[in-house]
Amino acid sequence: MRLPGLERWRALPVTRRRQILTPVLLAIGLVFPFVTSNAGNVDAAANAFTYVLLALGLNIVVGFAGLLDLGYAAFFAIGAYGYGIAASGHLKLEWSNLWVPLEWAGQVSRLVVPGQPDTVQFHFAFWPMLAVTAIVCAVFGALFGAPTLRLRGDYLAIVTLGFGEIVPVVARNWEALTNGAQGLGGIRTPKLFGFDFGFSPYPYYFLGLGLVAAAVWISIRLQESRLGRAWMAIREDELAAGAMGVNPVHYKLMAFAMGAAVGGLGGTFYVAKLTTATPDMFTFPVSVMVLVMVVLGGLGSIRGVVMAALFVAFLQSVILQDLTEYVHALGRLVGSETLQRVELITSLELIFGLILVLMMIFRREGLWPAVRRVAALTREQQDAAPARGGAVRLSWAPAARAGGPNRPLLEIQGLRKHFGGVAAAQDITLTIQAGELVSVIGPNGSGKTTLFNLITGLVPADAGSIRLNGNEIGGLPPHEIVTRGVARTFQNIRLFNNLSVTENLLVGEHARLEAGVLGAIFRPPHVRREERRAVEDALEVVELFGNRLAPRLEHPVSGLSYANRRRTEIARALMTRPTLLLLDEPTAGMNPAETLELMDLLRALPGLGITVILIEHKLDVVMDVSDRVVVLDHGVKIAEGAPAHVRSDDRVIEAYMGRRRRVPA
Amino acid sequence: MSAFDVVLQQIVNGLALGMMYALLALGFTMVYGIIELINFSHFSVFMTGTFVGLVVLNLMGVTAGGRSLTGLPLIGTLAVLFVVTMAVTGVLGVLIERVCLRSLRNVSGSAPMITTIGVAFILINAMLLTWGPQTQRFPQLLPNWRWALGAAEITFKQVVLFVVGFVLMFALSHLVRRTTLGKSMRATAQDADAARMMGIDVDRVIVLTFFLGSALAGAGSLFFGLYYGFTGYYIGYTTGLRAFTSAVLGGIGSIPGAVVGGLFIGLTQSLGGQLLGVKWTDVIIFSILIVVMVFRPNGLLGARLPQKA
Amino acid sequence: MKATGGVLLDFRDVHTYYGSLHVLKGVSYEIREGEIVSLLGGNASGKSTTMKTILGLVRPTEGTVTFRGQPIHGLRTNEIVKRGIAPVPEGRRVFPRMTILENLEMGRFTRRSEPGWDAELDRVFGLFPLLRERRHQQAGTLSGGEQQMLAIGRALMTRPSLLCMDEPSMGLAPRLVEDVFDIIRAINEQGTTIFVIEQNVNMALSIADRGYVLQMGEVVLAGSAQELVENPLIQKAYLGGA
Repeated sequence: MRLPGLERWRALPVTRRRQILTPVLLAIGLVFPFVTSNAGNVDAAANAFTYVLLALGLNIVVGFAGLLDLGYAAFFAIGAYGYGIAASGHLKLEWSNLWVPLEWAGQVSRLVVPGQPDTVQFHFAFWPMLAVTAIVCAVFGALFGAPTLRLRGDYLAIVTLGFGEIVPVVARNWEALTNGAQGLGGIRTPKLFGFDFGFSPYPYYFLGLGLVAAAVWISIRLQESRLGRAWMAIREDELAAGAMGVNPVHYKLMAFAMGAAVGGLGGTFYVAKLTTATPDMFTFPVSVMVLVMVVLGGLGSIRGVVMAALFVAFLQSVILQDLTEYVHALGRLVGSETLQRVELITSLELIFGLILVLMMIFRREGLWPAVRRVAALTREQQDAAPARGGAVRLSWAPAARAGGPNRPLLEIQGLRKHFGGVAAAQDITLTIQAGELVSVIGPNGSGKTTLFNLITGLVPADAGSIRLNGNEIGGLPPHEIVTRGVARTFQNIRLFNNLSVTENLLVGEHARLEAGVLGAIFRPPHVRREERRAVEDALEVVELFGNRLAPRLEHPVSGLSYANRRRTEIARALMTRPTLLLLDEPTAGMNPAETLELMDLLRALPGLGITVILIEHKLDVVMDVSDRVVVLDHGVKIAEGAPAHVRSDDRVIEAYMGRRRRVPA
Repeated sequence: MSAFDVVLQQIVNGLALGMMYALLALGFTMVYGIIELINFSHFSVFMTGTFVGLVVLNLMGVTAGGRSLTGLPLIGTLAVLFVVTMAVTGVLGVLIERVCLRSLRNVSGSAPMITTIGVAFILINAMLLTWGPQTQRFPQLLPNWRWALGAAEITFKQVVLFVVGFVLMFALSHLVRRTTLGKSMRATAQDADAARMMGIDVDRVIVLTFFLGSALAGAGSLFFGLYYGFTGYYIGYTTGLRAFTSAVLGGIGSIPGAVVGGLFIGLTQSLGGQLLGVKWTDVIIFSILIVVMVFRPNGLLGARLPQKA
Repeated sequence: MKATGGVLLDFRDVHTYYGSLHVLKGVSYEIREGEIVSLLGGNASGKSTTMKTILGLVRPTEGTVTFRGQPIHGLRTNEIVKRGIAPVPEGRRVFPRMTILENLEMGRFTRRSEPGWDAELDRVFGLFPLLRERRHQQAGTLSGGEQQMLAIGRALMTRPSLLCMDEPSMGLAPRLVEDVFDIIRAINEQGTTIFVIEQNVNMALSIADRGYVLQMGEVVLAGSAQELVENPLIQKAYLGGA
């Protein structure tokens, strides 16, 4: 579609677009209730805000972190019932002096009934409860998320579905707490400076608008923070995320907690407006509805999810009724009885089902996916002769000690690993000196990658020890080993495919940044400083590759050439500022020219204080760059020494080419 | 009745229920075993089966208010009912696979499962729109004969459930272990690429698995209607949950596991309902599901851990 | 010289990509009736992709694969296999929860309605007496070498025209490797054409009539086994030296 302004609009950077859009949207939002004559519209809009909050909350869990939560309505329920119990006076507990300060503050009352012990009745104010229920929901989010941590996608979803079902059943049956199936009524409406919100939709509209604006702002901040990158890394490739220093347990629980908190806000708001809460409001179809909103809008796309939520809300409240009118009119026109009796609102769930099926088959990324606006390469950039990296220099690298390798950096002793019946590592003993470049070679299946996996903690050893700088690292999880200064690349390249080059690199910096949730949301000066520094670090690392990666920093890595993907992976590993770098077949798939370029870089790394262990198959590369070569075969170290010596070793040749066959009789 | 008699009664009831759950779980587990898909729509196919059965019976002139049948008319009616319903649900399952799932065969992640959720919703609401939200009465074909077991009793309906259920399971077992199709199914479930290399048309095997599994769901749906005497658009949900838990408990992908799991959950439902009250059975069953998935994803008899990440 | 017939399999100018990775770069070779041909290569040479291309598990972007003059490069795996090509896949890929007998039965799937099951079964048991002894044992409980025997036996059940073996020596102890290659030669002497993809150069060339060496997706050497064995370049090409 060629709209005249669209091209210009798309050319603007995202921050500029936001600067323009935000006041415009806010203005529309603020003015709308005064412009529309019908209070019903305002009411519908206020209700729609609940949907938007839920969608934004689930977006954090599913969209950002990739955790499919099919029981999200549970948090909606906990938020709703949380406030409901606190503000409806239904729950009756025995009075104790604990409650005196709260009675003072007007949040509870003492009920005196002659002949019975005194009870306390709750009627907490709305505003503090908003924060309290958010926190309670966050706790439940982590609680429900915890059992799923080791489960893969589908199973995780089922467990969350389970919790999503248990909550309304508990609500239906724990009558003392929730008044069972009848639900809670008479929930206290919010009061602001003496003004009671009552039953008019207008104050709720503005409250909802405020909450949505806050949730959108928080989502955007989270997405563009260290936290958001960690989530997206986990979503794209949890294994690689761990290998770059992201603690998957911590961040998954965070995602559940944050998502639940936003859902809780939605619940509290909804129930304050409705003044009732019943278990039927929080059943599985509600969870599915929220999923529909996120799938329709686009997983991870904030604006998509907001628009889809508004669409679904208006579908329910307005669109379907209007359409039904048209269908009735058509029926009268055509004289069809059935058409005149159609009530489209009852087919709402049918529509949801259709949306899910159609989106999954035809457009899994959603209708309004988070667009990565990428400038096409200029003619010059496309035609540019690839320039090799300039002088290899990294500001943070400790200079190599004079005198070459002189102290052991990595000491492996008696390392053993069996997979089923196969011995992948048999009593491997190896010492790597600081400042060396050691190559590990051997035929297929000799255990080279297993060795890397053992060193980096991806796989636990059956026996043996691995010491880095004298400290035992065997048994530590991968993300901790990264903080000790060990980084790696993978044989099959494990980049975060839907993220850009820069984002991939910044994940590498994760372990050395500090921003947490509050830092991500509020961006105090020290967080902004560390983000700036991280970007500078990324640019510096990118320099090492000449003009290969520089023009493509904002491109999603899935579109890069194979060689550039390899380079990005190496750059990402360098971002962790390793003292030991493990590269698994870094030149695989590269042509001779690209291989030579990379070899230049490899040779320079020890000079920067980075010890390198290389798995390689191109023996000429190995000969050229290595100080030492180690040969593995069937999990056993069969040779070790200077490159030339190893290459002509009979045992090595035999390992690769097979034992000379005995002459048949 | 003494406590023993109460327990005995609940065991009889539980086993009868368990047969139904087992049939439903079997179809579900077969599909999982072959393509590692959690097929939510399976339980909606089950629900649809009851309505198909209603239509078939109405077409045969058997209505909800009518008398029960005996002897040859009963057997004849049952035979037609089962054959036609199972065929229809089988075809429905195949349609779902071809139209919705085949294009997603190579997509990783949860997209296929989400699609089955969508299909489930579509089916549920199609039935809701066609038949309305009220409960539909299912013709009580089976006469209400009872026999005493001590102070407990066993009904004719339950006997029929056991007999037909065992026949179907035996037939399935024979199919899977003795026939070529069954071996193709087992081969495909164990290693799809190797199966192709043996000349097996894996696509066809998948279609047949869906057909068989959905047909079994159809049988299970008739059990529901005949046993309980009613149906509604919502029954796929609770019964489905129980069948799903049965499959997971027994070991997802394992056929004997589905049977064992089904019987276990049936017993849990009736004994648990007796001990703790019916309203908590859902919570109990969901808790079993969660515990199994978190601590023993292989289930009781499951042979292998799911591969897909 | 062994008597060999016409061209059975013709692999011509095949280019294959995995995503943006150019794995096979115009690979060509042919296999004639009655021969043992070996495709050799080290890691990342692309040799396994060749096998997958023949079997239809991977589609070539360019080039053709013809069997007995008929193109097979567009067909599905189960159709290709019906034409008389029997695979012994890398890693054996026996059906772990089926017995040896059931695995062999699966091997005969494409000819299951034809008579001759007993004759083929006897032949296989003749080559591998161990399999007869253990025929009711579950294949998943066999050792690597035993599984290799089973995989070969399974492939022989249809009396194929072409037996394609992908790295039969992988993961096997050296003495077992010798036995396996002895058996391969025996099978060829009984009349089956054999295509062996191997990393173990010496073993492969000890039984092959002709061979091709693949390096980084290209055929860098070709000739009779004798020629290749005597060629000083093979070690260099094979280990990846420039």
